[in-house]
Amino acid sequence: MHVLLIEDDTEAARFLVNGLRDSGYTLEHAADGRAGLAQALSGRYDLVITDRMLPHVDGLSVIEAMRARHIATPVLVLSALGGVDDRIRGLKAGGDDYLTKPFAFAELLARMEALLRRHPSAPEATRLKVEDLELDLLGRRVTRAGREVELTARELKLLEYLMRRAGQVVTRTMLLEGVWDLHFDPQSNLIDVHISRLRQAIDRGAERALIHTVRGRGYLLGLEP
Amino acid sequence: MRLALINTSAFRLSVGYMLLVTLAVGVTLGSAYLLTESLITDEVDLIIDTELQSLEEKFQRSGIPGVTDEINLRIDSWGRIGAVYMLADARFERIAGNVTDWPFEGMPAERWPEFEIGTIEPGRRAVHPVRAAVRRLPDGNLLLVGTDISQGRRFAEKFRFATLWGIGLSTLAAALAGFWFSFRLARRVGEVASTCQSILAGEAGRRLPVTGTRDEFDALAVSVNHVLERLEEQAGTLRATFDSAAHDLRAPLQRLRTRLDALLLRTPPLEASVRDSVESALQEIEHLQRTLATLLQIALAESGAPLAAAAAVDVSALATELVELFEPVAAGQGLTLTAEVAPGATARGNRQLLAQLLTNLIENGMKYVPRGGRIRVGVQSLGAAVRLTVSDDGPGLAGPERARAGQPFLRFSSMGDGSGLGLSLVAAIARLHRAPLALEDNAPGLRVQLDLPA
Repeated sequence: MHVLLIEDDTEAARFLVNGLRDSGYTLEHAADGRAGLAQALSGRYDLVITDRMLPHVDGLSVIEAMRARHIATPVLVLSALGGVDDRIRGLKAGGDDYLTKPFAFAELLARMEALLRRHPSAPEATRLKVEDLELDLLGRRVTRAGREVELTARELKLLEYLMRRAGQVVTRTMLLEGVWDLHFDPQSNLIDVHISRLRQAIDRGAERALIHTVRGRGYLLGLEP
Repeated sequence: MRLALINTSAFRLSVGYMLLVTLAVGVTLGSAYLLTESLITDEVDLIIDTELQSLEEKFQRSGIPGVTDEINLRIDSWGRIGAVYMLADARFERIAGNVTDWPFEGMPAERWPEFEIGTIEPGRRAVHPVRAAVRRLPDGNLLLVGTDISQGRRFAEKFRFATLWGIGLSTLAAALAGFWFSFRLARRVGEVASTCQSILAGEAGRRLPVTGTRDEFDALAVSVNHVLERLEEQAGTLRATFDSAAHDLRAPLQRLRTRLDALLLRTPPLEASVRDSVESALQEIEHLQRTLATLLQIALAESGAPLAAAAAVDVSALATELVELFEPVAAGQGLTLTAEVAPGATARGNRQLLAQLLTNLIENGMKYVPRGGRIRVGVQSLGAAVRLTVSDDGPGLAGPERARAGQPFLRFSSMGDGSGLGLSLVAAIARLHRAPLALEDNAPGLRVQLDLPA
């Protein structure tokens, strides 16, 4: 996977480049907005990660220029600006995800994976299936190995979010954003409790567990990674 | 903002002005009327007096026949218009004159008695008022001289009519002028007020209208606009300061965090004890980060910047979702978290900030309410506002502590750990939403109440 990182903070960039290379990505780094924009416009990347405050051309202008030329490459915005409206502005400019600094490296990895695996043009599925777990999106019914599972509306939404990203690590923050539409971190272990409730409903009595906790990173739905 | 016209000072002023005008015009015209009337009467009286005198002199010179002749002469030829004469004997029988019968019951008591006489004018009968004086001649006969005062009466009547109309019309004119004046004033003040309201509501670029007439309102508007410009500049500077502070603090935190993260991802993996240290360092960073975010948010909210991304928020749904989110954790702590939410209550606001506010209040309750306690989140629709309450039966706050609760970095003796920013952020978000916030005694416990303008 070919990734462009536009980041003017050289030390942070060096760590990110090394970390991402270790995680199997091919990385190119641009140290300012102008260089970043020139590279991004070549359109040969699978993903662009850009800081928001950059010398010469700021991150949001880079995205706007890309979108104006119909380059649909997913863009992840990194920003020290974490205000509510900063985030909205970032997404309005055409960014696909917004991560406020400082973020955990695992958070970045999970979000990159989510963006890279996204298939925006895929037709809306009406059924999701992971192993013997099935979710009927129209009837809002869930079965595990043919046996019906009773879930609340919120648990169903949580399960749907996980099933749509089956095999990927999903972080707590991603779940808070995606399932509860909350863009800040409450202090308690809220998500763990909801996941464990869901796990109770899905995995109890089943031969193999489908919902896993990935230490230090988040959760994963699927067979043991 | 619309001002009720009747409440404006201009309206009150113009009502007072109207009364003053009425009074002034009334006094002026009224005294002119009285003066003119007495002037007319005095003239009539003088003429009557003079004639009586000359007739009395005639009597002294040539007796009753002389007076009779004189009277007849005056009636027939050179008498003044409207003159009335009568010479009568002691029994009030007519001797001479142009009045047929004695007009009074005996001798009139007043000095200037008035009576009416019927006359025949071309085509119609008329009644004319007459002002007269009566003298007893030395031989006991009575001499009456009078003047038809219908002319004067008519004049007086017209004068009175004109006076009343004058008073009425000037009152009406004053009222209209006053109404127009206060309407105009109220409209311009209303414009100023509504502009200020919309600036407060977030349209920081709005300015007071300047009409170009260079009146005192323009002078005021120009000055206020200067102030507004300065404020907007300052808000911009403040915003830039926040942004760079956020950037300058977050960038090093990011580097620190990335370094620690890189350690955790290293192969071969770290020794367990080192790994634990790194993880707890990361937790500290997270805490720092959260405090920083909260601080910046409080600072931004307190800077008077308008509420970002305001939209209609379904407060009922939000409260229900958050209670649902926190309920399992609360239950794990032995607390009962319930929602008593009226459906469909919406208020204008920022969903994320309101969610943060509710989260802080719920987390606050979960921190301080002991095991077995209850936390209740309520949403009520009050028509003009949506009332959001979070109440618990925990230790609560003492009165003076409740009053100080919105100040940053305040921690309470009764409270243990915590950054002390939770309630400050709640207060800041409430202010940003122009929602009155009240901390009350829930007897026992704390009851936080927020009235969000719908």
